[in-house]
Amino acid sequence: MKFGKLLIALLSVSFLFSFNGCSKKETGPIKIGVILPLTGSKAKFGTMEKNAYELAKAEINAKGGINGRKIDFAYEDDTGKPDVGRAAAEKLINVDKVPMLAGGYSSSVTFAAAAVAQQYRTPFLVNTGSVDKITQPAAFNLTTKDGDKFYIYRMNPPVSEYASGLETMLSQVIKPKTVFLIHENTTFGTKGAKSFAKTAAKLGIKVLGTEAYSSGTVDFKPILLNAKKVKPDMVYMISYVMDAAMLMKQARELNFQPKLYVGAGAGFTMPAFKENAGKASEGVFSATLWHQTLPIPGAKAFYDNYIKKYGGDGPDYHGAEAYSAAYVVANVLKRCNGNYSKENIKKALDKTDMMTAFGPVKFTSYGEKIHQNKMTTYVVQWQNGALKLVWPKNLANAPIYYPIDYKKIWK
Amino acid sequence: MEMFLQSLISGLLVGGLYAIIGLGMSLIMGVLKIINLAHGQLMMVAMYVSWSAWNYLGIDPYLSVVLSVPFTFYLAKFLSKYLLNPLIEKDSILPENQVLMTVGIGMVLVELARFLFTSDYRSVQTSYTGQAWDLGGVSISIPLLIAFIVSLLLTAGLFYLLMKTDLGRSIRATAQDRLAASLMGVSAEKITVLTYGIGSALIAAAGTFFLPIFYLYPDVGPEFTAKAFVITILGGLGSTVGAITGGIVLALAETFGATYLSSGYRDAYGLVIFLLVLVFLPGGLKSLTKV
Amino acid sequence: MHNDKFISKSEIGIFIFALVLPFIFDFSPYIQGLLIFVMLWVVLGTSWNLLAGYTGQVSFGHAAFFGIGAYAAGVPFFLFKVSPWWGLLFGGITAVILGYLLGIVVFRLRGPYFALGTLAAAEILRIAFGQEEWLTNGHNGILYITTWVSKYPYYFIILAIAAGTILTVKVVMRRREGYYFLSIREDEDAASAIGINASKYKNISMGLSSFWAGMAGAFYFIYMGFIDPETVFALHNISIISILVGIIGGVGTIWGPAIGAIIMVLLQETFRSAFFGFAPQWVSGMHAFVFGLLVIFVILYLPGGVVGDWDLIKKKLHLKRKSEMKK
Repeated sequence: MKFGKLLIALLSVSFLFSFNGCSKKETGPIKIGVILPLTGSKAKFGTMEKNAYELAKAEINAKGGINGRKIDFAYEDDTGKPDVGRAAAEKLINVDKVPMLAGGYSSSVTFAAAAVAQQYRTPFLVNTGSVDKITQPAAFNLTTKDGDKFYIYRMNPPVSEYASGLETMLSQVIKPKTVFLIHENTTFGTKGAKSFAKTAAKLGIKVLGTEAYSSGTVDFKPILLNAKKVKPDMVYMISYVMDAAMLMKQARELNFQPKLYVGAGAGFTMPAFKENAGKASEGVFSATLWHQTLPIPGAKAFYDNYIKKYGGDGPDYHGAEAYSAAYVVANVLKRCNGNYSKENIKKALDKTDMMTAFGPVKFTSYGEKIHQNKMTTYVVQWQNGALKLVWPKNLANAPIYYPIDYKKIWK
Repeated sequence: MEMFLQSLISGLLVGGLYAIIGLGMSLIMGVLKIINLAHGQLMMVAMYVSWSAWNYLGIDPYLSVVLSVPFTFYLAKFLSKYLLNPLIEKDSILPENQVLMTVGIGMVLVELARFLFTSDYRSVQTSYTGQAWDLGGVSISIPLLIAFIVSLLLTAGLFYLLMKTDLGRSIRATAQDRLAASLMGVSAEKITVLTYGIGSALIAAAGTFFLPIFYLYPDVGPEFTAKAFVITILGGLGSTVGAITGGIVLALAETFGATYLSSGYRDAYGLVIFLLVLVFLPGGLKSLTKV
Repeated sequence: MHNDKFISKSEIGIFIFALVLPFIFDFSPYIQGLLIFVMLWVVLGTSWNLLAGYTGQVSFGHAAFFGIGAYAAGVPFFLFKVSPWWGLLFGGITAVILGYLLGIVVFRLRGPYFALGTLAAAEILRIAFGQEEWLTNGHNGILYITTWVSKYPYYFIILAIAAGTILTVKVVMRRREGYYFLSIREDEDAASAIGINASKYKNISMGLSSFWAGMAGAFYFIYMGFIDPETVFALHNISIISILVGIIGGVGTIWGPAIGAIIMVLLQETFRSAFFGFAPQWVSGMHAFVFGLLVIFVILYLPGGVVGDWDLIKKKLHLKRKSEMKK
């Protein structure tokens, strides 16, 4: 068997790579691992977050870095797949030997990577992955009392709280009686729909029906017809950007005019949504976690600097999450007093209490969750081609456009 | 009733689009006897040609068909001449080598598109995107209607080509018996190259007329490759009438399934029909109608 | 088809080498992870090769068996908290049962129709496993905290499965069944005409092939601790790559898929990590491109794969060396 030799030769090549570990210099930059989808269908968001991390890195290092040392982010591409995300986390922890992880975009990928971080007892600051169980120790065979053994921290609210701002707007202003739910059939979509159904029950809104679809659907009319038939006051949609645009375009073609359309963040706040849906995007509400006009110090500056550096349409809440996560990482590392061990970083994370461009960050325990940053969410609405912050009232930069005159805005 | 009518109209119109996607595949499968796994990717290439023409040159997506179709036609001819045809002569254990070649071609095309255009979603905005007629509560999307009419014209054109021209006769002869056709003086090699080109040109047309309705990214293709299989098997290999009925049956099954059963299983309905037809009606609808 | 000696010295050598490999070198867990992936693909490629390369039934739905094996370990854990390790018992058997049921439908089909039939079957399973949340937790997937942090135990388990797969192929191809497989591949009608019960032997081939693919699936869940339908029933990432691993290494050869697996994993990781950090970042997006080019190259110039056309490669290299010497 001649190719036996070949096999051995090939395996010997792998021997070379076994020395590929890295030697650490005590004065070099402090490297933190960041897991994001940089290729694949979620690459658009992943790239936005990476840009935001880089922007924050440049600012932090320009202002003296971490007690004199520079901060650096080692990015690993999770390609939007849970198994790749796991491998990426393992590589960052074992090969790059980072003492801390950040990032995490898709729910399922973040959860899979979190399991690795937990196993290797490496602190992981999640900034976008939103499924509730990520900060529920029960999902990791722990209890809520095991805070000292639990290494996952999350800055963004979980998906069940995405609509908390929307909740008050609905109960105080719109007061719809019925709702129809449309969601994509992913973790993010199904969990989001379930938690909104709970919210609806609390507010006395009747759920008339729920429809799931798979991302990339061409024809949403069957789904929209089922919704139109039951005449809901409100349609609540959990969709990424292009599906969101297709939904609204076809809703307009069907002349389906509920009192209001509401998106659950994700795709509905993206400029690409407006671009693709055109007039059909007008009047659509969306829950959001952030908006550049919020009176949070640094929010507008981040938005402007991002456009200055990368051009394009500017970041939405995903960018703000990543940008602020970088500042949280820097803040945590500064409080480590030179000892960047995993345990020390975890202790510093526990004591985090700071202000970021995304809002205040503090990790607390409530309900089944621990290490979860609790924050308010907002409501935006597309008005004349621009995304306006309409709720809460005291922070809004535009009045709510309601009732919606579809004849006018869909013309 | 309104809902039934809307599902019917919706299904019919989408079916027209599926039909052109299936038409190209049916032709290629009928003559080359291979599954073209690069089918959706060739559609993606045509869509990027149209999108670029619209984005950089301001050419209306419907007019850009004069760019996207020839481009895809010559690209496909090149691929089949230099990558697929040589394999016929090659001695290999599995006859599926050509199919696997199309997998490789597909991968390379997708990655080239990603390299040139990034993974961002692209779409075209025209005066007619999102326009619809309201017919007594039933909405008819105008771009979809246009695509439907074009698909009927293309089907008729292909039917004429296959049935009434010398070239068509040669193609049909090659499909029936490659060896016999060569003995009759038909250059089987030329015919296969040409057929792959024509089949790809059809899907290029489909992609171009699809662009104003949908959106575009490098991985847009595979889903439509899968639909093309279902349509081809449903309609029968090499059958133009079969492809259009197959396309419409598939779209109706999807639409009615999603409306009245569960939308989560939408993509499975077609596949189930597909397996049933494969097993119980091996020749597809063609074996019933004989055209 | 086989040497006179059932297992040659160099084959024993390779196995022992693979066995002691982790003891000789102090691999980082990252390299260990890559070795595990190589072995996983050896199992998938070799089991596909038995059905396709030796029996001529070119399946485009190998993910069906991998996925069902993974869920055979995952579903009892999800529903009843049964340890996923039982999957190593159930995974293969469940896949065999699925293979038998599928066979009833797809073995009526030939050539490209068989390929499409298996492809459709795997896709239907992918969609169904995403929809039936009560059973599979749907798209949320099933997560379990893996038993060990160290990768060594997993390496030896998957090495044992890989050795079992290769040994199965070697044994069966020496027996009467093996000759029947080959005759079905060469001409099914002729085989039937001389009295070979084609459908029986196709089922045997499918059974053996699906068993090992199912074992690989069960191992995947035990090792990765996370499965969802999109990952384990993936058309491209599992079914198609299984085929390409076989094609690159060499269909209808014992060691072809193993070589294909090594090439595939090394290539993918080299590019994904941008040549281990030595090349600019944009290179990392090129792995599918290069892999696609490699597939085209192999099919055009090495239709028997690296192993099947080894003599050809050697000759070419040899000739080159000779001509260089002349200069």
